This record gives sequence, structure tokens and C-alpha cells, in this order.
Amino acid sequence: MAEFIARRAMRAILTIWIAVTVTFFLLRLLPGDPTLLVVEGDMTPEMQQALREQYGLDKPMLTQYWLYLTELARGNLGTSFRQLQPVTDIIVSRLPWTALLAGSAFVLTIVLGIPLGVYAAAHRGKRVDRVVQMFGITGHALFVPSIGILLLVVAGSWLGWFPIGGAIDPDTRGADAYVSLLHHLALPLLSLVVVQLGPYALTLRTNMLEVLGEDYIKSARGRGLSPQRTLWRHALRNAFLPALTLMGLQLGTLVGGAVLTETVFAYPGVGRLIYEAVGQLDYPLLQGAFIMLAITVVVANLITDVISMLLNPRIRA
Amino acid sequence: MNMRTLGRWSGAVTAVVTALTLTSCGLNEGQDASKPAGGDSSTTLRIGTTTDVANFNPLQSLSKTDNWILNAMYPHLLRIDGDAKKVPELASKYTHEDGGKSVVFTLRDDFVWSDGTPVTSADVKYSAETIMKNKLGNVAAKLTWVEGIEAPDATTVVFKLSRPYAPFAEGVGFWMSIVPKHIFEKAGDITKFANNSDWVGAGAYILKSATPGQRYVMTRNDKYPYAPAGGAAVDTVEYRLYPDVNTMQLALRNGDIDLMGTPVPASAIASFSGDEKIKLQEVGSLGFAHITYNVTNEHLARPKVRQALSMVVDTKSIISTVLQGEGSPMTGPISPIFAEYDNAELQPYPFDPAAARKLLEEDGYADKNGDGKLDGLSFEMVCDQSNPNLTRVAQVVREDAAKAGVELVASCVERNTFLSRTKSGDYDLDVSQWAVFDNPMDQLRSTYLSSNPGGINYNLVKDPKLDKLIDEAAVTTDHDKFAGKIKDLDAYVHEQALLTPLYVEKIQFAYNAGKFTGFQPSPSDLLGMVTGYSLSQVRPVG
Repeated sequence: MAEFIARRAMRAILTIWIAVTVTFFLLRLLPGDPTLLVVEGDMTPEMQQALREQYGLDKPMLTQYWLYLTELARGNLGTSFRQLQPVTDIIVSRLPWTALLAGSAFVLTIVLGIPLGVYAAAHRGKRVDRVVQMFGITGHALFVPSIGILLLVVAGSWLGWFPIGGAIDPDTRGADAYVSLLHHLALPLLSLVVVQLGPYALTLRTNMLEVLGEDYIKSARGRGLSPQRTLWRHALRNAFLPALTLMGLQLGTLVGGAVLTETVFAYPGVGRLIYEAVGQLDYPLLQGAFIMLAITVVVANLITDVISMLLNPRIRA
Repeated sequence: MNMRTLGRWSGAVTAVVTALTLTSCGLNEGQDASKPAGGDSSTTLRIGTTTDVANFNPLQSLSKTDNWILNAMYPHLLRIDGDAKKVPELASKYTHEDGGKSVVFTLRDDFVWSDGTPVTSADVKYSAETIMKNKLGNVAAKLTWVEGIEAPDATTVVFKLSRPYAPFAEGVGFWMSIVPKHIFEKAGDITKFANNSDWVGAGAYILKSATPGQRYVMTRNDKYPYAPAGGAAVDTVEYRLYPDVNTMQLALRNGDIDLMGTPVPASAIASFSGDEKIKLQEVGSLGFAHITYNVTNEHLARPKVRQALSMVVDTKSIISTVLQGEGSPMTGPISPIFAEYDNAELQPYPFDPAAARKLLEEDGYADKNGDGKLDGLSFEMVCDQSNPNLTRVAQVVREDAAKAGVELVASCVERNTFLSRTKSGDYDLDVSQWAVFDNPMDQLRSTYLSSNPGGINYNLVKDPKLDKLIDEAAVTTDHDKFAGKIKDLDAYVHEQALLTPLYVEKIQFAYNAGKFTGFQPSPSDLLGMVTGYSLSQVRPVG
């Protein structure tokens, strides 16, 4: 098992290095010059050159890349062009909000998605199955910002049930602060879950239908195991493995989806940070944020790989 | 491991992660400071903004939110009033001496930094010299001709120039933030000084806490000299972040904020008409939309081609359809808000595609292959797709140009690409918008002088006559003569059709008039309703 984990960890590190490299060069291939975005209007060539030197953009690209890798190995993500603060500090200050939003959406999607998928598969062709299928297809088709605005207008503005944007009411204390936090979290969370839940349940339903047709399930039923035990203990265990891989990938999608959700709901996470940094071509901040996203996806996949291995020892081979 | 065990572990991990997350989110972050200074009876004005403060160092920050917050905290020698005139702020007056080569500012003696240190000429001298030494922001360009700065006493600052420059005092006075020397000189390398805590200011409000992504809380500076007797009525100003302007509008309607710091988009103005408590405040504009021609193109180098293209632009129709009436036309390169410099005798080019075609045919262009297009007259017209109005303008102009036999290919690209292409001259026509020009001389010099000192001579024009007119105006410190020379320049640029003005867009800010009144708006969305001076004059209704 240790060898399996070590192999997967090495692969994860290689993937992160590739992500770092691609991100580094891709950002520099973007059209535009970050120094032009700092000053609108008068800027002499001397001022532009001074900014390039300040940003370290006056050096050859490979030199910049080597310096970046060296600093990265020391845990230094650099300094934001615009904010003049360490990128790590900026990201760390925003990360908990994205973790809360994306993490909650992830947990809710799984907690609700698994029973929905299993239930739909067990009742194939019935009304509940048709509803889950429709929900899944709709989730694929929906655009997060559109749902976000709709929820804000209806549940926030018309009905007044939820606040319009933000993450917490600054005047609350103690337990009230936690209530306020959940109150502000509700709509952005709902908009993410609505998009993710249907497709996840649909995937699980498809896996379950395949497994339910297998001989060993028929055999289990033949041996007199209860339908519920067969469904939840035997069928789900095997249908869950592909869904587990999907979970790892889904976490990356969720964190990426947070860019739009956080923007619409004025939620202060890393997604919004990326949104602002793109407009400013703040390379160090963008690199830091993308590396963080890459690490999230890679680590999530590593964890799902390990769990898959624990659930199905044949994978170790 | 079976499914039940896995479920238990997942539950436990989720609970721990959630608890840690909730804790690390810092539920009480910035809360103490955001409590109104005067307790429950104090007054808080909440303002919506779209972006975070990128840089708290006023010597090099330039984003809008930076400007709003830092303008309220750090004084300037001059401020701009509602009619775009520069009026005293820290400086009570300025004079020209030595034929305009010395500019002398006299400072008020009642500005005090929030730590109790008086604001003096040493702070002004330090601020300007630091900007010059480190070439910081756009103010560095305005200090180009400064050879030396003297501070003979605590309230006098003398800028010694290598040559006179008529709007020097206005440009530097308006744009340059004055910082506390005794704080900033201890910071070491100023280009790396984030200035992100323990703020010391002398403006109307001082930043007390910043929670990036959420809010910025400022409290009243009781020593601000321009506040009404007894102090500003608003104790606390709180900026709240709404990156999406639609969400910000909902927040204003819902009472979550009292003022939208960003202008209301033209398409959303009608939506506020039914809301009695929301008032729209119109302010002047320091910018305008226009079409620029790249004169290094052999065809666009010909004045008649540019004049003909000006005749295919239906500004009235554009204003009524694209802007839904929320704009006004202009003639020549000077915005009408600068009434004393705007040449009122100029007549706009008429919208007449047939006459435009005739003018082009007189200039030697012909449709030899009978395809309806004049041979050789095919241009790429670039625009910034982040401005939906200009994207639509490009479509309208393209269709009207076709009637005159000119093919325009619209290339509306994302903003960074647009800036890169216009800066490098990789375009034929450019549909864009000047955001802020606070004085016509800086505008004309930056946009038309062949040496391209500001890097924004997008026409790439090299016209000795134009250079001479600009240079002569720039050194004329007699106000009336200076205004006359600017009007001559206005006429020359118009006659040469170096640009086709499209419109001056109305800028309107929405605020809750049921709760607050007394704003003193400035032109443009650069500062709009939220200068320190304006905020200090706001008072609750009733």
C-alpha cells in the first residue's frame, strides 16, 4: 500500500509541476502588458521600464521561470504586482471562504446525490427516476450566474429571505455570527448545488443500473438477501467506485465554478480574487491561485485514488 | 474498510474541516473597527464598490476603489469642483513667477495628520520628490519639468521648472496625493511599501479596517478643515464589495447600501424610475467616446478620408439607440465640460454617407470592379469588448460606412488585447473612450504631440504645425491667451479630423435619498460622489 501511495504522490507532484509550468508560460502568452494596466493615460517609456524592472519582467522568460521555480520550491509564491503583498498571504486570507463554499457544496452534492441516484436506479422508469433524469439534464444546461441572479432577485430582493451578497453581517457576534454566516452562504451554496447535484445523481444512477444487472447481484437476491441490503451494501459499493473518481474531478470543477458564484454573490473567496487578477494581469497572483486550484484537484484525486484502493484492493496491482 | 466505516470517516472529516473553516474564516475579522465610532447613535454611510483596494500606497495606486478611499484619506493641493474647475484644498492658492518657470503653492495651516503632526510644505516636497525619484504613477509624467522643489517655510512650496507649462499647477495639484513624510520615509523602498495598516491621513475620513473581499471601514477625521461646523454628520463610511453591478443595484434597492459608488449603467437607469427613495444624481464627464484614426495607414493619412469617415457617423442615432438618450453630442476634441476652452464655433461633420462617398471620389477613390466598395478603402476597426456600448457603436458605424463605399471590419477584442494593439499601432480605426482628462492641455499634448510623451498618441500623428501649436499653448501662462490657443488647437484637430467624437455619456449615481442628502459630486466616475470633501458634507435626512 505504501508503494501505491508513493507512486501516486510522485505522479501528483509531476502533475503539479506541469500545471505550474503551463500556467507560467500561458499567462505570459496572454495579449497585453501588465504595466499598461497600472497606469491609464500618461506613462512615459521610462516609467514603463521602471515598472517592468519592479515586476521582474525585464529578464528573459526562462530566467523568470527559473527564478519562479526556485522561489516556489522555498514556498514563496511571489509578490502581487498590484497589491504589493505576498501572494501566499492574499490567497490564505481568501481560501477559507472558498473552502467553505466549495466544501459545503461538495458535501451536500454527495450527501444528497448518492441517495437520489440509488433511489432513481431502484425505481427505474418510475416518476422519481424521470424527475432525477430531468434534474440531471437541467443541471448540465444551467449557467451558474443566471441561477445566481435569479435567486438574488427572488429570494433576496422580492421575498427578502436572504441578504444580497456578502459573507457575513459585520455587526453580529458569537452564535449570531454563525447564523449570519450560514444565512449569507445559503444562496451561493444553492446555486452551486443545483448545478452539481443533478449530474452527479444521474451518473450514480447509470452506474447503479449497470451493477444491478450483474450476476452477483442476482445471486445475492437469490440467496435471500433483503432488497435494501443488496442495494445499499452490494450494488452501491461497486457503483460507487466510478462515482468516487468523479467526486475528485468534481471538487476541481466546484472550485473553478466558485469564480462565477463568488462574483455574482459578492462572496470574498479565491474565485473573485482570480476574477479581479485576470483584469489586472497580476501574474504572481494568478499563478498562485491557479497553483492552488491545481493542488486542490490533484490532492482530491490522490485521496480518491487511495479510497478507491481501500474499497477495491484489485486497483493496487 | 466497508461503506459504513467510510461514511463515518467522511462525516468526521467533514465536521472537522467545516469547524476549521468556520474558525479560520475569522468571523469577527475587522468587526471591532467597523463598529461605528460613536456607538449605536452614530451615522454610517454604506457605499457599494466593485473592486478591492489593490494598493493602499497613494503614491502609486490608481484603481477606482483605491482612488475613492485614498482620496478621502490623503489631501491634495487642489480638488476639482462640479464644473471641472480646480479649487483650493490643502493649497489656499498658487501663483506663477519667473515667467511661469516657478509655481508657488501657499498651503493652509490647519491641516493636521491624524496622529497630531501638522501637514506642512515638507510633506508636499517629500511626496513630489519621491514620485519623481521612483517614477511612480501618472503623476511622475506631470512632474517631468521639475528641476527642484523648495520649501522656504511651513506653508510655502516652490516648484522650479525647466520650462513653463501652463496647467502644471492644476495637474500636479489635482493628481498628487500628499503623504505624511514622517511615516513614509521610514518605510524603506517606497515601491514596495504596501501601506496596508495603521493608516495616518489628513483627509475627511481615515481608514480603520480593511477586510479584503468584504468591506473597508473609514471613520471621521474631526480635524478635517472643510467639514461643516461641529464636524461631518457621517461618522463612519463603509465600502462594501459587489463585483457584479447588478447585485449592487439589488443591494441598494434592498437597503443594504446607501450609495452606488460606480455609475448606474445606461441600461439600468429606467429600472430605478419607479423607486421613490432612490435618487439619480447626474455628474459631468471628463471623458468621451470617439473614433481615432491611425495615420500611418496610407489612406487614413489623407485628411479627406478621415473627414469622409466622420460623415458616416450618425451620433444622434447612436445616442438615442445605443445610449438610450443618456448622452450628448460634442464637436472637436475638447469635452464641453471645459466650456472656456471648447471652441463653440466648430460645426460637426454632417451625417451624410452619400456626401462622404462623393468626397472620397473627389479625392481619387473609385469603384473600378463595381462591387459597391471604393477600391482600397477597407479598414479594421478595433474596439474594447468590455464596453458594450462601443461594441454596438462599431456595428452601427460599419453599416453606415458601407453606404459610403467604405468597408469597415469590426474587431472587438478583450480589453488587454485592445490596449496592446492600440498602444503598438496595430489597428486602422479605434473605437474607444477617454475616461478622464482633467485639463485640455494635458489631453492635447498627450494625444497629438509627435514625441508621444505620454505614450497615448494613438493616431501616431507627426504634424509639425500641430506640434508648434501645442508647444506654444503649453508655455502660455496668461489665462485668456492660453484659452485662445486651446481653442485654435481644438479647431485644427477638428479640421484635420484626427478623431471623430461620438458622445459624452451621462454619468449618473444612485443613492438612497430617503436616508442621506448633501453630496457634492465631482465630474467623472473617477471620484464622482465619494471625494473626501463630498462625504464630509453628507448629512442624514430628517
